[in-house]
Amino acid sequence: MADPILSLRDARLTLDGNAGPVDILHGITMDVTRGETLGLIGPSGSGKSSLLMLMGGLERATGGEVKALGADLTAMDEDQLARFRRDHMGVVFQSFHLIPTMTALENVATPLELAGHRDAFDRAAAELQAVGLGHRADHYPSQMSGGEQQRVALARAAAPRPDLLLADEPTGNLDGSNGEAIMELLFGLRDRHGATLVLVTHAPELAKRCDRVVRLRDGRVDSEEAALRAAE
Amino acid sequence: MSIATTLGHAGRIARRELRGGLGAFRIFLLCLALGVMAIAAVGTVRASIEDGLEREGAVILGGDAEMRFTYRFASEEEYAWMRGAADRVSEIADFRSMVVVTRDGAEERGLTQLKAVDTVYPLEGEVGLDPPMPLHEALKGSAQYPGVVIHSVLVDRLGLDVGEVVRFGTKDFVLSAVLVDEPDASSAGFALGPRSIVFREDLRDSGLLTPGTLFESHYRLDFPDGTDLETMRREAVGLFRNAGMRWTDARNGAPGVQEFVERIGAFLVLVGLAGLAVGGVGISASVRAYLGGKTATIATLRTLGADRSTIFATYLIQIAVLTAIGVTAGVILGAAVPLALSPIIEASLPVPIALSVQWAALAEAAFYGTLTALIFALWPLARTEDVRAATLFRDGGRGGAFLPRARYLVVIAALTAALVGLAAWLSGIPTLALWSAAGIAGALAVLVLASMALRAAARYAARKGVGRGRPALRWALAAIGGPREEAASVILSLGLGLTVLAAVGQIDRNLRNAIQSDLPDVAPSYFFVDIQNDQLPGFLDRLENDPQVSQVETAPMLRGVITQINGQPAREVAGDHWVIQGDRGITYSATKPDNVDMADGEWWPEDYSGPPLVSFAAEEAAEMGIGIGDRITLNILGRDIAAEISSLRVVDFSNAGIGFILSMNPSALAGAPHTHIATVYASEQSEAQILRDLASAYPNITAIRVRDAIDNVARILGGLAAATSWGAGATLLTGFIVLIGAAAAGERARVYEAAVLKTLGASRGRILGSFALRSVLLGGAAGLVALAAGAAGGWGVLTYVMESDFSLVWGSALTIILGGITATLVAGLWFAWRPLAARPARVLRSAD
Repeated sequence: MADPILSLRDARLTLDGNAGPVDILHGITMDVTRGETLGLIGPSGSGKSSLLMLMGGLERATGGEVKALGADLTAMDEDQLARFRRDHMGVVFQSFHLIPTMTALENVATPLELAGHRDAFDRAAAELQAVGLGHRADHYPSQMSGGEQQRVALARAAAPRPDLLLADEPTGNLDGSNGEAIMELLFGLRDRHGATLVLVTHAPELAKRCDRVVRLRDGRVDSEEAALRAAE
Repeated sequence: MSIATTLGHAGRIARRELRGGLGAFRIFLLCLALGVMAIAAVGTVRASIEDGLEREGAVILGGDAEMRFTYRFASEEEYAWMRGAADRVSEIADFRSMVVVTRDGAEERGLTQLKAVDTVYPLEGEVGLDPPMPLHEALKGSAQYPGVVIHSVLVDRLGLDVGEVVRFGTKDFVLSAVLVDEPDASSAGFALGPRSIVFREDLRDSGLLTPGTLFESHYRLDFPDGTDLETMRREAVGLFRNAGMRWTDARNGAPGVQEFVERIGAFLVLVGLAGLAVGGVGISASVRAYLGGKTATIATLRTLGADRSTIFATYLIQIAVLTAIGVTAGVILGAAVPLALSPIIEASLPVPIALSVQWAALAEAAFYGTLTALIFALWPLARTEDVRAATLFRDGGRGGAFLPRARYLVVIAALTAALVGLAAWLSGIPTLALWSAAGIAGALAVLVLASMALRAAARYAARKGVGRGRPALRWALAAIGGPREEAASVILSLGLGLTVLAAVGQIDRNLRNAIQSDLPDVAPSYFFVDIQNDQLPGFLDRLENDPQVSQVETAPMLRGVITQINGQPAREVAGDHWVIQGDRGITYSATKPDNVDMADGEWWPEDYSGPPLVSFAAEEAAEMGIGIGDRITLNILGRDIAAEISSLRVVDFSNAGIGFILSMNPSALAGAPHTHIATVYASEQSEAQILRDLASAYPNITAIRVRDAIDNVARILGGLAAATSWGAGATLLTGFIVLIGAAAAGERARVYEAAVLKTLGASRGRILGSFALRSVLLGGAAGLVALAAGAAGGWGVLTYVMESDFSLVWGSALTIILGGITATLVAGLWFAWRPLAARPARVLRSAD
C-alpha cells in the first residue's frame, strides 16, 4: 500500500454531554491513501461526520492517533491545526458555511489570502467561473440559492488546490438535480486537481462513485467495501 | 374575528411565550429601567428642592416678605406702610466692600459682600457662627471695637483668626466669629465676594454707605398670622412698584434659586430624554433580535391560522408587559436612589431639600419611558406582519419593505408628538425642549445616515481592493459593509451619547478659553466702584502718572429701574427682557465719548438743557422692540424721570470694559447723588501696588479684581458643564449598555465566523486582530460622526445663543474619538473570547 495521506490509529472521541460523557467514536483505525476517494456511510449518529471532523483537525481526538500527511494532528494546537488546513485541506459542509458578511468572491478568496497568494482574487474569480458562478461574484450568500451557495463552498474548498478534500454530506441540503450537479462538480474538481477525497454521504449512488466505502455503526467501523467503483 | 377574541388568543399565546423567561430582554429592560431611573431621579431631586424651598420659604427669605430698593432706603411713606402692615420690620443694607487686615505693617484686602443689619435681624432662622453664639452678641464686639462676622471662605483666604481686628472703610471691627450658616443666603443674588455681617449703626463713621454708594436695601416683613401674602403683594406693588420697589414673599423665597433649580432640572430631564432615546435604540434592537428568533414560531402560527392582527397583538402584549416591568423598575430605582443618597445630596446642596417620594416626577418619568418603549418597539413589531407561513419552507431572506405600513408610521408619529409635547409642557422651557427634541431627532438621523455611509464606504473600499492581501482588514471591512447591521447598532448606540458629550466639551472649553485666556488680554485689571466726586481727581492723578497703567476709563454712575415704556408698564412692552428685570447702571455725558460708535441718531449738543434724553444700547433696544422717539420712564432714587430715546449706540460687553445700556444728558440727572466707576488697565505685576495705594487713600472705594471675577464665572461655568457632563455620561452609559447588547447579539455570528475562518486556516491571532480592527473602525467612525455633530451643535450654540467665537478644541475632540474607540474595543473584545475558544466542528455542526 502506498503512503497513507490520512492515518488513524485507535482514534477515539468522547464528548461531555449533559448526562455525562458520551462516546462518539470507539477506536477507529484506518488509512486513506493519496489520490483515493473514500466514502463514509452509516446511519445517523453512527459517527461519520465526527470521524471526518477528526480527519480535518476540526475536532480533537480524545484518544489514539490521527495523522495527516505524516503530521500528528492530535499534537497540534488550534493555530497549528488552522495553518495545516490552510496549506493542505479543503472542507465542504452540508450547510455550506459561507461567511454571510462576505460576497461569493470574497468567500472564495479568503483561504487563498490566508495562504499568502498575491493573486487571491484573480484565482477566486477563476474558481467561481469554473463552478458556473462568475456572474454571481458580488452577491452575498443570502442573495443566492442553496445550490449556488454550495457551489461557492466547493470553489472555496478547491481554490487552494488542497491535498485533501473533506466533504460532509455536501448534497444533504439540496434537491435532486442540484445535488447531482454538486456531485459532478465535486468529483470533477477532485479529478482535475488530483486531491484525495473523503466524502460523508447517506446516498448509496454517491457512495458507489467512491474507490472505497467505510460503513460506520455506533462509532465503530462496521464494514469496509473496497473498490466498488473499480468493480462496476 | 372580534377584537376581544383576537386579544384573547394573543394573550394566551403571549403568556406561553413569556414562560420562557426574560433572558432575551435583558438589554430591553436595562435600557428602559436606566433611562426611566435617570429621569425619575432628577425629577425627584428637583421636586424635593422645590418642596424644601417652599417649606422653608420664610427662613430662606428672612421673613414673610421682602421689599427691596436699589441705591436708597425706603421713603417715609414706604416705611410707614410696612410698619402698618407688619408686626416686625427688619432693615438691611447690602453692598460690596473691601475688608482690610494689617499685619506687620503690610495690608491684605479681600472683596466682600457686606450686610449691614439691625437688631431684629434675622426675623426667621438663625445665623450659624463658629464659635457658636447669638449673632447680636457677636456684632456687639469688644469694648474697643464693634464686631463683625465673616464667611469662612474669606476668613481662610485672609488667614484671619477670631479676635483679630479688620477694617471696613475707615473703621476697625473685631472678628467675633466665623460665619458658617447664613439662613437667608439663598435669597441674595449673585455675589462676587463672600459675606460679612455688621450692625448698620456701626458703619456710621466708616465712610461707607454715603450718598451715591451702590447698595440695596432690603426690608424684611413679619406679618400677623393669617395674612394673605397675595393681597399684601398686590397692595405694595400697586403703591410702590413705580418707585422702583421689588417684592418677594415666602411663597417663593429664593426666586433666583427656584428658577435655577427649575431650569437645570428641566435641562437635565432633557438630557435624560436623550439617554432614553439611546435606550430606545437598544429597545428597538432587542425587539428586532427577539422577533428575528421568532420567525419560525410566527410562520408556524400563520400556518395554524393566526391572522396578522393576532400575531401583532401577541407580540405587542409581550412588549407591553416588558415595558411595564422596565418602567416599574426604573421608577422604583429613580425614587429609591435619591432617598438612599439623601445624606450626601442634602449635605452637598446649599439650599434646603426635603427628599421624599415625588409622585408627579415619577409619573412623568414613567410616561416618558412608556412612550419611548412603544415608539422604538413599534417599528420592528410592525414587521411581524411580513412573516408568511411559507417562511417555514423557504428562507424568507431579507426581503420586505424598509418602512412598516402607513398606519404604524402614523401611530409612531403620534406617540413621538405626544412625547415631545409632554416634555415641552412639563419642562417649563418649551423652546429649549423643542430644540432638544429636534436636536435628538436630527442627531439620530445624522447617525443613521452616517452608518449607512460608513457601510457604503466599507463596501466601496472592499470593491476597490482595499485590504486585499491583508485578510484581517478585509474581513473587518466585509463585516462593516456586509448585510448585518452591526455598524448601525454601534454608531447609533454610542453616537448620541458621544455627540452630547462632544457638544458640551466644545462649548465648555470654548467658553473657558474665551473667559480665562482671551478675556484677560483685553479686559481691565480692576473695576473700582463708589468713587466719590471729590475723590476722582486724586484717583486719576495716582493712575495717570503710573507708567505701568496703560489706560483708565471713568464714568459717572447711578442705578435705576426702567418702569415704563411709552407710558405702559415696561413688562407689557418688553416682556421679560433682562434689561427691565432689575436695576441697571445709568451714566451721563455732555459729549459723545471717543470710544462710542453711534448706530442711529445724534448725540445731544454739549450745552443741551431741554427735556431728558437718553442714548440706548442699539442691540438691546432692537430686542425690546423700541427705538428712537420712544419714551422710557426711569426710577432713580425713588424719582421718576421720563426721557426720550434720541440715539442708539453700539455697546460691546465682550471686553469687560465700561458699557452702559443707558446714557443720559447731564441736566436730566442734575442733583442726583452719584459716584463714579473706573476701569484700570495695568500690567499684572503692578496690580497689587495700585490696589494698596488706592485702597489706603480711599478706603470707601471697592476694587473688584477682574481676574478674580473671571475665575468666579469660570467656576460657575465649570459646575454647569460638570452637571451636563454627568447627564451626558448617563446617556453614554445607556449607549454602552446598548453597545454591549449589540456585541452580545453579534456574538453568535462571530462564533460562527471564527469557526469558518479557522476551518479555512486562519489563526486565532488573526481573527482577534480582525475583530479588534472592526471595533476600532466602528468606534472611530462613531467618535468622528459624534464629534462632527457635537461640534456643529456647539458651534450653533456658541455663535447664535452665546454670540461667542467657536474653534475646535482638539483635546476634547480626541477624547471623544478615543472614547468611541475604547468603548467599542472593550465591548467587541469582551465578546471575542468565546468565538476564539470555540471548536469549529461543534459550532459548524450545531449550525447544520
